[in-house]
Amino acid sequence: MNQEEMFMKRIKQGEKIEATDWMPDEYRQLLIKLIHMHAVSEIMGAYPEKEWVPKAPSLRRKLAIMAKVQDEMGHGQLLLRIVEDLVYPLGKKREDLIEDIYYHRVKFHNVFHMEARTWADAGLIGWLVDGAAIINQAALLSTSYGPYARVLKRICAEESFHMQHGENIILTLAMGTAKQKQMLQDSLNYWWESLLFFFGPKEVTPAAERMIHYRIRTLTNEQLRQKFFDKYIPRIHSIGLTIPDPHLKYDTEKKCWVYTEPDWKKFSEIVKKNNGPKSRERIELRRQAHEGGRWVRQAMLCKPVG
Amino acid sequence: MTKKEVAEYGVYEVFIQKSYTDPHIHVGSLVAPTSELAMQWARENFLRRDSAVSLWVVQREHIDQTSTDFLARELDRKYREVRGYTENGRLWRMFKEKTLTIEEIVAAVEEKNRNLKSKNKK
Ligand SMILES: [Fe+2]
Ligand SMILES: [Fe+2]
Repeated sequence: MNQEEMFMKRIKQGEKIEATDWMPDEYRQLLIKLIHMHAVSEIMGAYPEKEWVPKAPSLRRKLAIMAKVQDEMGHGQLLLRIVEDLVYPLGKKREDLIEDIYYHRVKFHNVFHMEARTWADAGLIGWLVDGAAIINQAALLSTSYGPYARVLKRICAEESFHMQHGENIILTLAMGTAKQKQMLQDSLNYWWESLLFFFGPKEVTPAAERMIHYRIRTLTNEQLRQKFFDKYIPRIHSIGLTIPDPHLKYDTEKKCWVYTEPDWKKFSEIVKKNNGPKSRERIELRRQAHEGGRWVRQAMLCKPVG
Repeated sequence: MTKKEVAEYGVYEVFIQKSYTDPHIHVGSLVAPTSELAMQWARENFLRRDSAVSLWVVQREHIDQTSTDFLARELDRKYREVRGYTENGRLWRMFKEKTLTIEEIVAAVEEKNRNLKSKNKK
């Protein structure tokens, strides 16, 4: 049995691969692509909500949304550590992983290119964008890469606070004035298509197929999207909201949701070219934070004089 | 006055990982002359019955410890905990629904959906 076959045998037996274990190049590359994008999405994902920290409607809401933003940045840190170990043999460092964001060498999820226009948007992000992300992350808990599996366990534990936080904002608005309810409906209308796109294309791409082969992930995009529908559509309806899709229905025969597909082209352009409504502005802030902090990172390395 | 020759062993802290999806957890310490022997003795001391997948020994002087003050919590932090949102359950009931938990989601993604899988193959 050669190295590659031994490796596949370990994977098939459900063993976890560790950072220092031998692994095929393809496996490493797939992991880097996936986890780097995940890490960067956590970091860029903090921006839409951080924009609402100064404008939160009460002190408690301000503290809570700040805590959430801090968690997302923390998730980014945990995930970047995993990527750092993976890119180490390739001579890349943390600096490169961050710079990749503003040199447009790494993508992040479409939802974080969009604008958080109102407090209802901030709440809806907390409820449904986090909801979608949680479905993705929960499905990755069984990943074949050990360090990723362990970090995801921690992340999921923190996400359970995010779920409650999002629900609470939404429930409050859903019980509010007619104007608040309308704001919530507008928000759902704005985000719905983005949420569908979030899970990725319906067909299983060659890269996704390889990830399934290596058990980096086990479910397809469409399976995850359907799980999201199962959990969230009844709740969205229960609070009196209308989902902006006249064709949405549950097909009892095929046991799955039928829906109008999002504009795949529009959103993949946003993700590939970073040209969504807020992409450039947020990426520029990230660049400033990284470049502006360089002297601090360097100063901290210096030994005190005397 | 001749001093008795005393072999001074260093202290090693021992961490055990029970399964690959768990973190390494501190279980105790021992004294040993080298890290190789610390590893051997840690196995005999802490893993005579329990199984494990990985063992770390770390020289105590390489561990930095905080003071309790450093970890003090004066403020109420319920706003960042699940238990700060117990009212959600009551609010959902008003809409004839219930609060969603991470456990429910994990259970949902673990249950294999054969229907969809075979459909995707086409
Ligand atoms: Fe997160
Ligand atoms: Fe989150």
